[in-house]
Amino acid sequence: MTGHWTERLSEYLDGELPALERASLEAHLAGCAGCARTLEELRVVAARAARLQVRPPGDDLWPGIAERLEPRAARTLDLGAARARRWSFTLPQLAAAGLLLMLLSGGAVWLALTRRPAPAPAGISTAPRLASAPETSRTADTAVSAAAALPAAYDAARYDAAIAELEGVLREHRGELDPATVRAIEENLRIIDRATGQARRALAADPASPYLNGHLAEQLKLKVALLRQAAALVGARG
Amino acid sequence: MEHAGSAVTARDRAPGTVPAAAELKDAAAAAAGDTRAFERLYRAHVARIHSLARRMLGADLAGEVTQDVFVRAWQKLGTFRGEAAFGTWLHRLAVNVVLAERARLGTRRGRFAEGEGVMDALAARPAATDAGLDFDAAIERLPEGARQVFVLHDVEGYRHEEIASLLGVTSGTTKAQLHRARMLLRRHLGS
Repeated sequence: MTGHWTERLSEYLDGELPALERASLEAHLAGCAGCARTLEELRVVAARAARLQVRPPGDDLWPGIAERLEPRAARTLDLGAARARRWSFTLPQLAAAGLLLMLLSGGAVWLALTRRPAPAPAGISTAPRLASAPETSRTADTAVSAAAALPAAYDAARYDAAIAELEGVLREHRGELDPATVRAIEENLRIIDRATGQARRALAADPASPYLNGHLAEQLKLKVALLRQAAALVGARG
Repeated sequence: MEHAGSAVTARDRAPGTVPAAAELKDAAAAAAGDTRAFERLYRAHVARIHSLARRMLGADLAGEVTQDVFVRAWQKLGTFRGEAAFGTWLHRLAVNVVLAERARLGTRRGRFAEGEGVMDALAARPAATDAGLDFDAAIERLPEGARQVFVLHDVEGYRHEEIASLLGVTSGTTKAQLHRARMLLRRHLGS
């Protein structure tokens, strides 16, 4: 058995020897029983390692993990800070959000058309108000109340301008993104567009509906958030 | 432990595995704060992560480091973009946590002494009835550098270039360490 060749047996086994050395080693193996035996033993070791099975821990580690998990901070949307912040939705989050949107949007419009909300109590202001305040923890009831104070035309104009700008960025840099990411973004945009289309049509029939106004504003916000995420991805790769 | 039949090996969730839709959904839910979804991910992957930690660091530290891996995964889920399987992403993260722990431990642990004498102790060990446990025990007693490379290459299926990058060494070094590990295990298994 030759030390020089013995040291190269693992590389030979893994197919990592250059052709010339491989041929030389094979010539050596033909006449060296020691090296041939060692090679076979190394093959057994590698094969056994590849067959090693995973084993769960003896104790359940989950309770110790669960108590160390910090609750997620609620995310808020601030339209005025569009250029200063980056949103970090992941691809799966976008896909899940899309599915949720599809279900919620249809249901929300249907509810708005079939169940008229009670008139806003006297004293609630109907003066114009920006829709950029954080709203992540609102309940459905408070969302309806707040929506009563949101003039859709005013908000829609703001959102439409932001959307147009962000869509321009996405169009310009579309080719820089992973195709799967682009597909996910575009699919979610289509879902949101369907939802906003439904809301606008319903509003045409009932322009004063506070629920529909609020629903449209929510859809537009989602679209801005999604486009911001796409723009952030472009920025991250740029 | 080696079992016959359909048991899972460390390579069954190796890089390149097609992302599972249910896992992507759970990952998205966990990223949004759903701890139940995260627990499902934990249940699905804990065996592989714990086995990696045990083989790389030893049984004493494996549980603690496995917990660290999942806590880190919870913190980092926002960076998971679904471009690879969740298991692949988690495993990469686990390797980094394990190697960081290894670096933190430094040379304090005498059992990691570099030298073939480490393997000699195995000869006096009572014969195990389970060949898989026997082999796992032999891996845990390899010299540190050889063990890391052996586990990552032969057990987990990483390539030399990847291992070299993870360890900050050349692929020539990882090839030499792998050969050393195999030669040591060959002697042990041959006895």
